[in-house]
Amino acid sequence: MERQKRLFCYLMVAPAVIFTFVLGLLPMITSLGWSFLEYDLIRVQQTGTPFVGLENYKEVLSDGRFVRSITNTFLMTGLVIAFAISLGLVLAHVMHSNYRGRAIVRVLICAPWFVPPVVAAAIWMWLLNTDRSPINALLMDMGLIDSNIRFLTDSSTWGPFSVPLLSVTAVRAWNGLPFIVIFILAGLQSIPRDLYEAADVDGGNLWHKFRYVTLPLLKPVLGVLIMLLLITGIGHFEINYIMTGGGPQDLTNVMAVYSYLQAFNFFRFDLASAAGGVILVLTGIICALYIRGQLKNRDDR
Amino acid sequence: MTLTSAEPLRATSRRGGFARSPAADRLTRFAVIAVTVLALIYILLPVYWMVKSSFQTSFDIRAQPPHWIPREITFQAYKDMGYIIPIWRYILNSIYVSAAAALLATLIGASAAYVLARFRFPLMTLFLVMILATQLIPPITRAFPIYSAIQAAGLLNSYTGIIIAYAGFSLPFSVMLLRGYFMNNCPPDLEEAALVDGCTYFSAFWRIILPISLPGLAAVTIFTFLNAWNDFLWASLLLSQGEMKTVQVGIGDFSAEGGGGRYINLVMAACVTATIPALIMFLFVQRWLVSGLTAGSVK
Repeated sequence: MERQKRLFCYLMVAPAVIFTFVLGLLPMITSLGWSFLEYDLIRVQQTGTPFVGLENYKEVLSDGRFVRSITNTFLMTGLVIAFAISLGLVLAHVMHSNYRGRAIVRVLICAPWFVPPVVAAAIWMWLLNTDRSPINALLMDMGLIDSNIRFLTDSSTWGPFSVPLLSVTAVRAWNGLPFIVIFILAGLQSIPRDLYEAADVDGGNLWHKFRYVTLPLLKPVLGVLIMLLLITGIGHFEINYIMTGGGPQDLTNVMAVYSYLQAFNFFRFDLASAAGGVILVLTGIICALYIRGQLKNRDDR
Repeated sequence: MTLTSAEPLRATSRRGGFARSPAADRLTRFAVIAVTVLALIYILLPVYWMVKSSFQTSFDIRAQPPHWIPREITFQAYKDMGYIIPIWRYILNSIYVSAAAALLATLIGASAAYVLARFRFPLMTLFLVMILATQLIPPITRAFPIYSAIQAAGLLNSYTGIIIAYAGFSLPFSVMLLRGYFMNNCPPDLEEAALVDGCTYFSAFWRIILPISLPGLAAVTIFTFLNAWNDFLWASLLLSQGEMKTVQVGIGDFSAEGGGGRYINLVMAACVTATIPALIMFLFVQRWLVSGLTAGSVK
């Protein structure tokens, strides 16, 4: 009976495990392997793929464009997390409290959720079009600016910041906001109401309740959320790629876009894999922490 | 020593606690409302701008400064969008590959999720870690070998290739969601009774667990459908030729190549059209969002 049960278990997980291995783990390892080879798609017929050790990593890390893309990746991810979580905390409370018209407000806040990222990029490209942006028109009418802001093409910088970087960051935050709000809302719903009543008895005002009841109890939820956003942020690809392709002058280039362009514009699979390797190591570390936390929680339950 | 009144008690609790101030609350409320109004403008302006632009004439849309409200409303863009992007064909392609991948992923995912939720067996933690890690680590870190493998198998620019790829990428997600669902919604005594009656493990799963889990299975199928529907990276790598593109690649390529220019109203009409199927699917599952998310990750 016991053997039969075990056989049944393995047969049931086998297809899923094989699929995930072949399309997940195996290509990840292969890609990591390629990052130690010379693999130039144009010359591969003549030179083959000799082992070159850490050469690709050296080449990539001494490429100013890649270094720039690392800075941009972390800057944009950090900005998205800080901005969207602060806003998400406010909006989750708005969705959580009771008032007339709450259902409508909930739907409106979630609106960007069903907009596919590609469509989001396309809409915002049009919305941020220098000459025909309603935002420019509005700022102009209010007398705040005297020439149109070039949201996606202005190449002047202040340190690592630039207008295109902030614009693309705003679009990424926009696209991720509903998920963040719902995630925080789920956390809010698990806080027992009597804690707030206790705060009432103590004479706490709304801010105190947020600061001393909500925030400490949300900490684990926010921790998980920040980890998830870090992982997805470090590997983020499509909005940057479609809106600017990394430009102007690499101001919005991120690691995933750099890697993609190395592979499919310059046919350097080795350099692309090395850039991918950097992403893999960075996200792998965060993942390990996250999975350890998840498994520990499961056992505690 | 007979301090029986509540006064001193309240005084201590007040000293140790908070100062009540309705003025502060009013300020907080005002700040929250102000932030919410600004946030709603940020959230809704792009959606409004897309819909508005799709109903404008190609003359009206090029006005500077732009018109906040269209001078005349026309459906012309929806009639003409086919000239720049074969949108209906792309939508059919997207529906086909997303639905096939979602069904495949749910079927394979459900059997794995069931035993991972119900039994303990050697290597189980290893499987779970592998599945979670594949779900989390960004796709770009495995894009090139998969591209090469699909090319080597002769499946580049075929629906089969992308359906297999999508099913594979959605699997971790559906396994994790369904595992949470089976753990929370299916009492083990159900199939224990069946086993006592002489059912095999498999027939208990097939005849009892699957039928009562249909709502969960449907929700997960829709989630995985949406994942595939929204994807750009894989479709742009594996299915980039002519008529076979998915709708996201159709719109993405067009936008990345210069963003429509004078035909932007047609692009916006295409965007609205590409969003509607996602919206319909989304409405089916929105009830599930909160509980589904928490089952998977928070608890």
